Amino acid sequence: MAEKDIKKGVLKGLLKLTLILGAGFLLLGILGRILPSPTEDGYRFFPVIGSRVWVWIVAQLHLNFAAFVLGVPIFAVTMEFLGWRRKDERLDRIAYDFTKLFTLAYTLTAVMGAVLMVSLPILYPKFIQHLMKVLGPTWWAYILFMYGEVFVCYYYFYSWHRMKDRKGLHVLLGVLLNVMGTILLLITSSWVGYMTTPAGVTETGELVNRWQAIKTYMWIPLSLHRLVANVVFGAGIAAAYAAFRFITATTPEEKAYYDWMGYTSAMIAIGFSLILPGIGYLLGVEIYAFNEQMGIQLMGGFYAWLWVMQAILIGAILFFINYYLWISLNKMPGGERYFRYVKFLFIVVLLGYAIWLTPHSVALSLEEARRIGSYHPVLGKLGVMASKNTAVIISYMATFISFAIFRMSNKEPTVSWASMGKWLRVLIIVASTGVVLFLGVYSYMVPSVTRVKVLSPIQFGVFLLSILALYILDSRMFKGARVIGEPRWGQMPERSQYALIGITVTFTWLMGMMGYMRSGGRQYWHVYGILKDTSPDAYLPAHGVASVIVTLVTLLFFLMVAFVFWSVMKLEMIAEQRRAK
Amino acid sequence: MTEIYIGVFLLGILISLLAWYKRSPFFNFIGIQIAVYGFLKGLALFIPPLPSQVVVMYMAMSVFAFFIYFSIREETFRAFLAPIKSVLADRDKVLYRVVIVFIGLPLLAAYITYAKVRPSFEPPVSARIVHPEPPTEIDFRGKKIQILGLENPLRKDTDRMKDYLEEGKKIYYQNCFFCHGDDLDGKGHFAEAFNPPPLPFRGTDTIAQLPESFVFWRIAKGWTGLPPGSRPWDSAMPAFEDILTEDEIWKVILFIYEASGNKPRTWE
Repeated sequence: MAEKDIKKGVLKGLLKLTLILGAGFLLLGILGRILPSPTEDGYRFFPVIGSRVWVWIVAQLHLNFAAFVLGVPIFAVTMEFLGWRRKDERLDRIAYDFTKLFTLAYTLTAVMGAVLMVSLPILYPKFIQHLMKVLGPTWWAYILFMYGEVFVCYYYFYSWHRMKDRKGLHVLLGVLLNVMGTILLLITSSWVGYMTTPAGVTETGELVNRWQAIKTYMWIPLSLHRLVANVVFGAGIAAAYAAFRFITATTPEEKAYYDWMGYTSAMIAIGFSLILPGIGYLLGVEIYAFNEQMGIQLMGGFYAWLWVMQAILIGAILFFINYYLWISLNKMPGGERYFRYVKFLFIVVLLGYAIWLTPHSVALSLEEARRIGSYHPVLGKLGVMASKNTAVIISYMATFISFAIFRMSNKEPTVSWASMGKWLRVLIIVASTGVVLFLGVYSYMVPSVTRVKVLSPIQFGVFLLSILALYILDSRMFKGARVIGEPRWGQMPERSQYALIGITVTFTWLMGMMGYMRSGGRQYWHVYGILKDTSPDAYLPAHGVASVIVTLVTLLFFLMVAFVFWSVMKLEMIAEQRRAK
Repeated sequence: MTEIYIGVFLLGILISLLAWYKRSPFFNFIGIQIAVYGFLKGLALFIPPLPSQVVVMYMAMSVFAFFIYFSIREETFRAFLAPIKSVLADRDKVLYRVVIVFIGLPLLAAYITYAKVRPSFEPPVSARIVHPEPPTEIDFRGKKIQILGLENPLRKDTDRMKDYLEEGKKIYYQNCFFCHGDDLDGKGHFAEAFNPPPLPFRGTDTIAQLPESFVFWRIAKGWTGLPPGSRPWDSAMPAFEDILTEDEIWKVILFIYEASGNKPRTWE
């Protein structure tokens, strides 16, 4: 994307949004007139695949892009700030590259949003009428903030080089962009929150208090969960972009830059993903507090099988990231010294993965059920949260150690207490793992409430404290350390980049599946307990069907993302050619 | 028959050791997979056999994880790929190529297909919902009982707890033990006849994970009265609301928690 006149660029962005929105409203008007009236209970039907599947696909695609354009600016501006303060050109370049990506992705986000904006009122007129009656003003506020967001985003991008002498002001623009994004996220989360945990209306859906309808049980936990997940997801997409550029790069300089970009993005993604379980837990608590029935259905009932799939995928992500870090030792001068530790880390992550994915209740054939009973005596014990929490915390600990090993593998500490420091490091790792294990075993002996409210948070706290202690210890120990050699950025086998792409694809699939579960928690209600879904789609699809649709959405999303990547490369090439001329 | 898996496990270990000695990561990988399979299936000698669903999951994880492991170091990965490349491309490996690629692999694919589609008299594996979500309220002999947030009213009466437990014990042995067993382990006289088998109450992974309100609902309504989101739900559990009073159900709940050494799940 060539940098042009700021005014022209911003106008282009605003015009594009207006055209997309205008086309949406126009299409809405035309379809409303030419299509037959909705059924008596307020539905029209989408041909062949049905209304639900159509809206499902469009909404998930829109949400994926929205997550990207809201998540990436958070760390783009952080990188810009760091680059500015540390006077590091490379950080500034990565921030600019991220900005390029999300500015381009805005158009696709708006297009998918417009398709959703047309689909919902056409296919579900009664439901949308109800939403407009209760939350109508928030929709108009949403449009207003969307214009604000686009204005600031395009201004932020097009003024990047012009404002390089006024970096502070430019960073402030980035912060403003994120404020706008967060407001948009809060508005959309209030809609989902109202649909799932409604408040502020009578039993028949008459509005009593609009603020209560916005400020539902789910609103803030869902917004927080989405905010952090957006950063993880955005960083993941940026890592996939870097991997794609690495594979297609033709010069060593390009390879080195995209290798570094992939590493930085992947570490941001994994770093932020550490706090996701805690926020997800908060969201679960709020759902239980609103309605225990919905909570059990989501966590232990119909969707219990999908949690096993979630465990498989999270385990795969941990494996991918460890693999990426272990393989990265190849490019570190002195890295070979640490390969001997990799096999132990591998065993820990493997065992952790095995426990983490062990299902509590399994699909049994008649003969197996007769021989085993309802619960397998060993698997039943491994399949509960006491062991799973312990396993996943220890796996995360191993992942952090892989990260620490990578960072220090090309250095040799020179401080006088280096030998003691190494032993202290071992002590921290062994002691914290021992405490986490002990608490995990002890969790079997206490009531669930003690495990959930006391022991699990302590386990997580011990883990956070230990990684903090290790980080501080290593920072001190490696201050002024002898550098064996600089990392050979760019000298990575291509298969390592597929691990980065694997992480992002898995994240995307997970987002789709978890989003489906959250939405399915409403069962046969558009608005839980208030507005019933009386359409022919008012049933929960089989897990296989849901998985196929989520897979389809993931494939479509990556096709569109590939288009964004291709566009960036094409525009860069055009700019390069212009410069050469 | 299960003993054969000990042999499979040992064979896998042997292949793996030989491959390690010969520095052949590919055959080491093959040996490990054989050993893991033998181990998982051979466990049946010591504990009830692992369900095939779990064996498939563990095997998939093992293939994925060990493939990753052998591709970390450049020289190991090259050595890992060498036999595959050699069989596919080397001129002097034509015989191997024919036997493995053109005969062995298609035969394996054919066998897997045959095994998948051959007629079987086994009922299909069912992914049953183990914890159906409870309804908000139930109709108990014409009385509406709010299930959500319901607590066992007898727990507050600590003075008479001993009597309640004694009565609960009697009720259990008159009504429940035929299926759920003398030792509350789900192995009663009739247990063998049911699929799924009756729930064991011992251990920390069944009733310890449930609030008493949930257990009350399951005893009162049995396999009937499930909310729409939880159907179908296979169970032979009778609806005890026709047999026991509300108090009797609470007493038997007190007993099964006490006798199994568990505490009911609470949210606070």
